[in-house]
Amino acid sequence: MSITEDLKPLFYPESVAVIGASSNPGKVGNIILGVLKKTVKNLYPVHPKAEEILGLKVFNKIEDLPDNISMAVVTISASQTVEAVRSCAEKGIQIIVIVSGGFGEIGGEGTALEKELVSIHKEYGIRLLGPNSLGIFLPETGFDTIFVEHGDKALSGGGGIAFITQSGSVGTEALGLASNAGFGMRAFVGVGNKVDLTETDFLNYFAEDKETNCIAFYSESIDDGKIFLEKAREVSKKKAIVILKAGRTEAGQSAVSSHTGKLAGSDKVVSGAFRQYGIQRAYDEEEICDASKSLSMLPIPDGNKVAVITAAGGYGVMCTDYIEQKDAGIKLHLAKFSEKTTKKLNEINLSFASTKNPVDITASAGDEIYVDTLEAVLKDEGVDIVICLTFFTPPAITNDLVKKISNKALEFNKPVITFAQYGPYTNKYLKEFYDLGMVGFSSVYRTVRAARFLVERSDILKTFGEDNE
Amino acid sequence: MSNNNWIDGLNIPGKPDEWEVKELFKAYSIETPKGILLKPGMEFKGTELEQPLVVKVCDSKILHKSDIGGVKLNVKKDFGKVIAEMNHSFPESNLLIEEMVPYSGLEFIIGALVDPDFGPALMVGAGGILTELYKDVTFRLAPISKMEALRMLNELTVSEVLTGYRGSKMDISALADLIVSVGTLITELGSSFNQLDINPVVFSDGKWVALDGMSILNL
Repeated sequence: MSITEDLKPLFYPESVAVIGASSNPGKVGNIILGVLKKTVKNLYPVHPKAEEILGLKVFNKIEDLPDNISMAVVTISASQTVEAVRSCAEKGIQIIVIVSGGFGEIGGEGTALEKELVSIHKEYGIRLLGPNSLGIFLPETGFDTIFVEHGDKALSGGGGIAFITQSGSVGTEALGLASNAGFGMRAFVGVGNKVDLTETDFLNYFAEDKETNCIAFYSESIDDGKIFLEKAREVSKKKAIVILKAGRTEAGQSAVSSHTGKLAGSDKVVSGAFRQYGIQRAYDEEEICDASKSLSMLPIPDGNKVAVITAAGGYGVMCTDYIEQKDAGIKLHLAKFSEKTTKKLNEINLSFASTKNPVDITASAGDEIYVDTLEAVLKDEGVDIVICLTFFTPPAITNDLVKKISNKALEFNKPVITFAQYGPYTNKYLKEFYDLGMVGFSSVYRTVRAARFLVERSDILKTFGEDNE
Repeated sequence: MSNNNWIDGLNIPGKPDEWEVKELFKAYSIETPKGILLKPGMEFKGTELEQPLVVKVCDSKILHKSDIGGVKLNVKKDFGKVIAEMNHSFPESNLLIEEMVPYSGLEFIIGALVDPDFGPALMVGAGGILTELYKDVTFRLAPISKMEALRMLNELTVSEVLTGYRGSKMDISALADLIVSVGTLITELGSSFNQLDINPVVFSDGKWVALDGMSILNL
């Protein structure tokens, strides 16, 4: 069976059993049941004594459940989980999301219980997600097994990013934060301790998923390293892959006698391998969200020449410094405008504006000058990326600027990244940009960093071209 | 010489000395200085190699030979005295006597190890005794294509010395070929391979030469 078929009951279950359903508000088994009730028609709570929970008929034993249930979500203690999983397997349930913790992550007894889960998977062929997994959230249908706050309302609009995370909290916190300014989520998958389903399985799944255009991972260990990388190289030809790889592996005691071993000490091997296999690397939760948002929503530029439009001189200077920063790995350069563009910019702009890159339209300019300037630089063939530093305090700038910039930017197949700051209203403006199909950030640094991710992606695609020659 | 014969013939199993490592390099067309191995009690006449010479203690039990007087550079007519002193300091050890290779410009390091998650990996970067201070290195998983080797070199901060920085003349293409060869070497050593340093690698008379090499194998 293909991975797409195999994982269908995980994302689109026809029926779900909740092992450990609870009538006690605030308990995990109660929250999950409540969330699932909103979208799952055939929902079966399992509890040894209760008769009815949240208006649903309770089954006292797994054995009593109807046949052919697609999925079970297990929320009971680790020691009880193993037997429950075995009963689910006996019952013919196809896939189990094990939310319960207390396994490999605590060592000792937990590790032993985890090994039992592995052997049940091998014996019955039942697919297991977790343990210690938050499970699945699919904005497309609203299907959701996550029992903590995760910006689900803000994320409900959906999008192209599949987010696969080993740590539940890194995933939910980061996405919750990103959702404030807009984040286009295709699916959330918490892989947890990975007794069966791993990053590689979801890489395979989302490679085939037509709605996904960017695959992001938070990972502390990549179990089948080389297999994952080989697949990533193939997928990366079509979809961007970003990984936040945390937890540095020591190169091993024996390697310390060589210079190479000492130099590898941190995790330079990981960085090199990612680069080699077309994977982009992020280093914290904000960066992975920024990178995947940009890669999912923006066109990939041909080159690294950036034009900057600003109404505030200081921000233009700061932005230039970040662009020209030499030690940032991926190189960016300020674009040099053609004579034609310069002439046009001089016509459009006020006499005291600076029409060299970065273009400072000044705080006296209004919406029209801003948008005409944007059009002029987008038309310049020497410009690959445009950064719009937007401010809403200048008197001639109106709230319509968001819409006007967005409309103009989307006429062209070049990435336009916006920066917006307006004190406590910053996220409101960024969210407005997002809702119009634009990517924006609240700091100049993050805006320029997003441009670097786009150029890195462009380089990766060029690399695939070179290797085929 | 097959790799298995080489592994089986090592003086100390799993720990080849510099001479043995360089024998392996030759099998992979990696240039090394012309030299001879002088075992304890053997005589060096002086006519075998062209001066100036380098005299090194050649013993895989000794890790940092230059720190303990185990390397003498620019040895000319007084080679007899130098060899006698070295034999006195390291009575149990072989000596490696090589022609001194003239070079100018930056020294590189090429290395390899086995990453616990991803397997055999190659490294290239700014070499020499200060390599660990510069930390200007980059890694890839082995084996690699020449295109990938060129991308590694272009990633280094020092990459411009390979493309004419301040008149420097170094052959970037040949250095990429050398990295590819090292990748092939460690791949063919297979599960025996553990780690390798070639440091420094220098550009001399139109060729890249491995001046020193150390390797550790799995037993």
